[in-house]
Amino acid sequence: MNPIFKFFASLRLTVVLLAFSMMLIFFGTLAQVETGIWKTQKDYFESFAVVWSVPEQAVLHDALFWLHIPMPGGYLLGGLLFINLIAAHITRFKTTWKKSGIFLVHLGLILLLVGELATDLLSEESQMPVDEGGRSNYSQAFRDNELVLIDRSHPDHDTIHAIPSKLLKPGKTIEAPGTPLSIRTVNYYPNAEIGRATNGQTADSPATQGAAVKMGIVVNPKEEVYSENTINTATAYIEVLSPEGSLGVWLVSNVIDDRFPPQMVSLGEQSWELALRFARHYHPFEVELIDFKHDKYPGTEIPFNYSSEVMVHHNDSSKNQKALIYMNHPLRYEGLTFFQASFANNDKTSIFQVVRNPGWVLPYISVLLMGLGMIVQFGIHFVKFLGKRSA
Amino acid sequence: MATKLKILSACYLTGVTFFLFGCDQAVPTAYQIPKETREVNMPMPDAAEKQAATASSMNVLPGMQQAADAAGELTYKTPEVWTEMPASGIRKANFRIDDDKGSAELTVTVFPGDVGGRLANINRWGGQVGLDPVTPDDLPTFTESKTISGHRGIVVTLKGETDSILGGLLPFHGNTWFFKLQGGTETVLAAKNDFNTFLDSVTLPDTHH
Repeated sequence: MNPIFKFFASLRLTVVLLAFSMMLIFFGTLAQVETGIWKTQKDYFESFAVVWSVPEQAVLHDALFWLHIPMPGGYLLGGLLFINLIAAHITRFKTTWKKSGIFLVHLGLILLLVGELATDLLSEESQMPVDEGGRSNYSQAFRDNELVLIDRSHPDHDTIHAIPSKLLKPGKTIEAPGTPLSIRTVNYYPNAEIGRATNGQTADSPATQGAAVKMGIVVNPKEEVYSENTINTATAYIEVLSPEGSLGVWLVSNVIDDRFPPQMVSLGEQSWELALRFARHYHPFEVELIDFKHDKYPGTEIPFNYSSEVMVHHNDSSKNQKALIYMNHPLRYEGLTFFQASFANNDKTSIFQVVRNPGWVLPYISVLLMGLGMIVQFGIHFVKFLGKRSA
Repeated sequence: MATKLKILSACYLTGVTFFLFGCDQAVPTAYQIPKETREVNMPMPDAAEKQAATASSMNVLPGMQQAADAAGELTYKTPEVWTEMPASGIRKANFRIDDDKGSAELTVTVFPGDVGGRLANINRWGGQVGLDPVTPDDLPTFTESKTISGHRGIVVTLKGETDSILGGLLPFHGNTWFFKLQGGTETVLAAKNDFNTFLDSVTLPDTHH
């Protein structure tokens, strides 16, 4: 047998990979303390390799700051395990009735690996805050931003021209789809502090239009942060270009939001609102929050229940649905799952986590397959055992 | 066996490459959504309404209102033909001028700091009446210096095609006061003397002397 193939099919490789997986989970858990779950997941599990070092807050940091441990990332381990399992099947396993249980277990395992990859790559998470008595037809990302030009001139609908912030690279020009305009990114800061120029400080800003000029806003770029519940203030200087030339440079930021009057870009008779905001996903339905309940144990501040009573109004009214969303009871609707995530505003606003995960059913199927496989395998042995005894 | 291995690794690599680069591409998009209920100040053709829109589109950042409150109240005299409107928010005073040619509005505001400097503010006002930005060298043609409330300020005349602005800028103990008369060009220019008389009458609350 080809030695390389033998290597990939070996049980020894399986053991080594599983050991590395345990190590990855252990160090990934430690890393969460410093960088939060989102970045850890990206660095450790959605990567091919990662280097662990002692977190700065750790007690031993001063003594062990030089220590760096490289290890394979989740994609590499998962991929190799996948190859390992399939190679082992090709070489060692014969499809016989006697081994059918093991075959099912392995099939479930493969499906679990594939499902996990699909979740990593295809699932989208966003948040939907809704006020009591209010409705919302969109959810918004909490990390990704988008630059939008909104045309509100039509009496029946608004048109949104959106450019994901990933495309905002300094110096790069992008056409805004469906408009005669294009935008050139003068500068983009993933995180920044914005405030007014104070006495003596000159507003040294490239902006020539909009809120920045009116108020003398200055921008201090900051390091991007990843911990949970912290928001990066994405900020950019954007030059808007018409076919005849530049219309000016605007400062946009996701903190200059709906609380502020819109920044307008005009060309002839047409005008657009220009804004940088958290990327929005609009849905063909509205979620109305009828009631949010935040129950506490009597006489204490300890919560025992958060729940949101919602009514979903779909454009197609036959799909309207009422639901109660609470811990472990999300609403599954139109390929989306609404979880009770948080609340705000003196219990008057409920915040849902909205997850679109096309692969959500795969882990359930794989667990079922593995369970079934084990029952079959044990069943076969048990029957054989009984047969021996009676003989 | 080697072929099988090649097939396996090829499957793995294509799978991963496809997922990593195929699915996660960010592209600009355009789409329609149902009319949003948010109130938006769209540019309106009428001069008076345009002023209302411009004024209410003033963004108030935290701290700005406090600065305006701390700046105190000013005193002034106005010609009888001016209608005094209630001061609100960051506006310290507000007047309306109507004549047979049209209407104009005078607002007095105060902001901490230099609000981006003299040139930026003049260009901002110029933009509101459809003028192209100017350079520091052009400033003398638009501006003359004027003493307001015992301090040196400037007066700006920005003549646009349909709308014009007469403006006063006064740096005053770390704040900048803005006097802006904006409206139809004929109305604004006709009110020039009244505007200057008004500026002469202005006394700002001065706690530094």
